[in-house]
This record gives sequence, C-alpha cells and structure tokens, in this order.
Amino acid sequence: MDAEERIAAASKFLLQAPPGEINDVLNDVRNIVSDDHVLQSGVLPALREYNLAQFITADVPGHQHQCIVSEAARLRHSDTEEEGENEIADRFWDPRSRTSFRFDHLSLEASDPQSEDPDSESEPFRAALEAATISYLTTHFHSGVASVFSVPDHADRFIIQVVANKYNPANFWSGRWRSEYTLDLADRTVSGKILLNVHYYEQGNVQLETTHAISLALPPSISSSTAPASATKLLALIESEESKYQESLGESYQAMGEKTFKALRRALPMTRSKLDWDKVLGYKLGAELTANKGAFGTA
Amino acid sequence: MTDLVDSMLDLMRRLPPTRVEENVNALVGMCPDYADDLLGSVDQPLKVMVDRATGKEYLACDYNRDGESYRSPWSNEYDPPLDDGTVPSPKLRKLEITANEAFDTYREMYYEGGVSSVFLWDLDDGGFAGVVLLKKALKPALSSEPSGSWDSIHVFEAAERGRQAHYKLTSTVMLQMVDRATSKSDNVFPGKEKDDRNEVKREGEVALSGSMTRQTEQDWPLQDQTSHITNTGRMIEEMEIKMRNLLQEVYFGKTRDVVFDLRSLDDLEKARRQRELQKELVGFIKTR
Repeated sequence: MDAEERIAAASKFLLQAPPGEINDVLNDVRNIVSDDHVLQSGVLPALREYNLAQFITADVPGHQHQCIVSEAARLRHSDTEEEGENEIADRFWDPRSRTSFRFDHLSLEASDPQSEDPDSESEPFRAALEAATISYLTTHFHSGVASVFSVPDHADRFIIQVVANKYNPANFWSGRWRSEYTLDLADRTVSGKILLNVHYYEQGNVQLETTHAISLALPPSISSSTAPASATKLLALIESEESKYQESLGESYQAMGEKTFKALRRALPMTRSKLDWDKVLGYKLGAELTANKGAFGTA
Repeated sequence: MTDLVDSMLDLMRRLPPTRVEENVNALVGMCPDYADDLLGSVDQPLKVMVDRATGKEYLACDYNRDGESYRSPWSNEYDPPLDDGTVPSPKLRKLEITANEAFDTYREMYYEGGVSSVFLWDLDDGGFAGVVLLKKALKPALSSEPSGSWDSIHVFEAAERGRQAHYKLTSTVMLQMVDRATSKSDNVFPGKEKDDRNEVKREGEVALSGSMTRQTEQDWPLQDQTSHITNTGRMIEEMEIKMRNLLQEVYFGKTRDVVFDLRSLDDLEKARRQRELQKELVGFIKTR
C-alpha cells in the first residue's frame, strides 16, 4: 500500500469511531501508520467529516454554553473569500450567542471569536424555536446540547439539531443520541431523523446502531406570525415523536430478545433440558442402525 | 511505543463488529508483515462451503485451510482439491467423524437449522486440538422482517492424563440482529380525523451486533476416545448457554440502558422541581 492508500484506510477507521472514542482510534491508527507527518495532514478531512456528521460540540468562546459544530453551523460569508480554503471550511457560528469561531478538528477547540449579525427576517422565529428547543432539551436529556439554525437564502427554513453524549470509559461504555429536524414553513413540512450509537466493550465489543426517519405535515396552527406559540407546538410534536420512538425501541429490544435471538439459537432445546451427551452418541448409533435396516429392507 | 499488534487489536475492539472482515482486510493491506498475528487473533464470520462429494454444507475457517483450499469434515476432501493437503491421523479422523455427527445433533437441537463443522488436528506433544464451528443466518423473505446471524467458534486443546483429560477451551460468539421497523403512519394529533395533511411517516432500522470471547479450563474423566466428544460437548454447551445469556441480558441490556440514560422518557424538569420541593420541606421541618 502506498502512503495515499494507507491514509484512505486510516480515514475509514476514523469514520467508524464509536462515540467519544475518536482519540483512542486515532492513537491506534497513529501507531499502525507510524508516520505522523503523513498522518497529520492526511486524516484532517476524515476528522472534519466525522466531527460534522457526529454533531461534535464546542465551548463557545466568551460564553458559558456549548454549541453544535455541523454542516448547518458552517459559516457562509461572501467576505471570507479572501481567507484560505481551510479557513472557510472551518469557520462555524453559534446563532444563540451570535458568535462565529474557528474550529480545530483535532483539538476540538474553538478560537478567534467574532460577532455575527443574524438575518433580521428569520431571526425572531429562529430565536423562538431555540428557546423552545432548549426547554425541551432540559426536560428529556441529562446532558444534551442543541443548536437552531436559520438557512441562508431561505427565510422560512430552519434546522434544529440535538446531541446528547455520555462517555464512561472507566466502565467501558459510551453513547450518542443525535436528532435533526428541518422545518419548512413554506412547504409546511417537518422532516427529521434520530440516530443512536451505543458501544459497550467490557470484555467484548457490542454496538447498537439505529436510524429513524420522520416526516410530517405541519398542523395549521403553526405559522411564522405566531412565533413563540408555534415554536412551543412544534417542539411538543418533536417531544411526542421522540418519546414514541424511544418506546418503540424498547419494543424492538424485546422482539429481538424473544424472537430473533431464539430463531438464531434457542436458550434450551425443545425438550427444555440440556443434551444427554452419552445418549447423543448412542442416538446416532441408533439412527444409523435404523437407516441401515431401511436400506437393507428395500434392497 | 505500544506494540503494533496491540494497537490493531484495540482498534478491532472499538470498530463495529459488523465490519470486521472489511477492517481486518484493510489492516492486512497496511501491515502485511503482521497478517498472521492479526488473522490468528481476530475471529471473523465463518464462510459456508458446499462439500462437492456429499453436497452437504460445511464451514470454512483458518483451522481447515491449507493454502487456498478448505477441507470438508464430511468427505475429508480439500476444495479446490489438494494432493498433499494436511489431514488428521486415521485414529483422529475416526474421532472427527463421530464428533461431527454428535455436534450435528447438538446443532439441530439448539439452532434448528444452520451449519456445523468439527475439525481435529494432532499436536506435537501427543495430545490433540480441535475446533467446533456453528453458524446460523436468518435470511428474511421480506425486507421488513428481522434478519440476523450467529457464529460461534470453539477452539480446544485436549491433554490425556491417565484416566483424566485436561481441556482448554476458548470460545468466541459473533452475533448480529437487524430489525427494520416498517413505516407506520398515524395522526399527529390523536382524536382528529385522519387526512393527508396530518400524517406522520416513520421509517427506521435497529442493528445490534457484538462479539465476545471467553476461556475455561477443566478436567473430565476419560473412559475411551469418545469421552472426548461427550466432555467437550458438555463444556461447549455450557459455554454457549452462558455466552448467549450474557449477550442477551448483560450486553444488549446495557446498550438499552445507555439509550435511556441519554434521553429520559420522564420529565426531568418535573423531577428536579420535586427534589427541590422535598429539600425545602425537609429544611422547613428541621427549622420547626
């Protein structure tokens, strides 16, 4: 394998990293590639892709809260054109604090804060959605982060993102809940997805990976003219959908445990007792004798 | 610097069990010099082969491989054919035939389908070793039905000590289950009349996968050669029951608990307020 192929293989490993284990995977990959120079520049695109897809969170410089670093958070500005390509790719913004920052995909640190003016047309509804989302977050998530974005050039489109992480390496488990909803007030639709990843690796490697897509038509009562009330209603819908999903996941576990697992391997044979191994050898002998007799009989 | 093989094994312990073949291949490509170490320590899902002589299915793994060929436990023939392929001594082959029949019965009792294979080989110190392989895959007729697979690999070493035998057993189970939730639709607001305007579409997939390895060493009485089959049979049966139970109750249960730890179905805000109220009450009673 040449250097390029090795980097491609290393990048594939990084993109499969379980929640909170990207540094462990990176350490392993570093040892395997054993060429820090090639690795450092080579895997940056994979780290960026991983961070954006996984809704990695950043401490907003100068503020007490965290925000989500994702594709929706990427800053698109005409006046950043003068800056280098990576500079454009790695500037993100937190609409809540109206702050943009540079994000380092390796150290996961935000720096160089600048204040950003929101789009005046969409900001009132976005701010209402943000307030309702944060209230929903504290109701159901133990340690979650949410960001609500307006969409450039689409004043009636909004993106709500939620991420909750729990990392417990001392007890060999980690988990991540991601959900994302795109609200379109013009099309009067909400479409979203919930993604779950859980890793439990105490003397083993067990992973849960789920995807769940939701799409629904907006009820007539939700409109941009009644921002706070509409935002509360929309989040009530999301709350109900996510709770329903969580309950259905509990049912999936039960169905898998009772049906799928049993169809693969029974806990005990039909006889409800373990095999009598002395008889297993005897039975075989018996079956052979019967078969031979049959063969003899028809001959 | 950490040992390279340790890094590879740590990586395999973290990456999804569903992609073990792809990832092992990539590692072998990156570090060809360590291919044997890696292939010898990471178990991969078993391949199903068909015995050309008997038409019966058998399982292929590193233990019945010679070059590019695999030996069938049913006909003792290699596929593609080999003139000088390694085969067990006549005495051990006799035991291998009986073991394959016995574990075929075991497979039918527990798996109600699937494929099993047993391979034995002579050890330099006079003892012998073997591997018992079991595989079952659920291939649903409809994509909405659950699918899954179970692979187990039991490697053992047997050492005879007079009328006793000492066994060392290493067992690995690899499991995958995928449940595709069919897209359901119902009203956004219950009680309202159903129409296109307030319909919800939901579609999703739940995938649970895992691999685990356990070891045990035991002594069992030895009456004749077939005792090796009843002894390892009991050990493997016990081990599979234990591992199946661990996977279902402990491992899968844990992943479910983590989900409910990430998001609570109950109102956390209400619980927080209740706790504060309780604290206030306790304080109020104390000051009285």
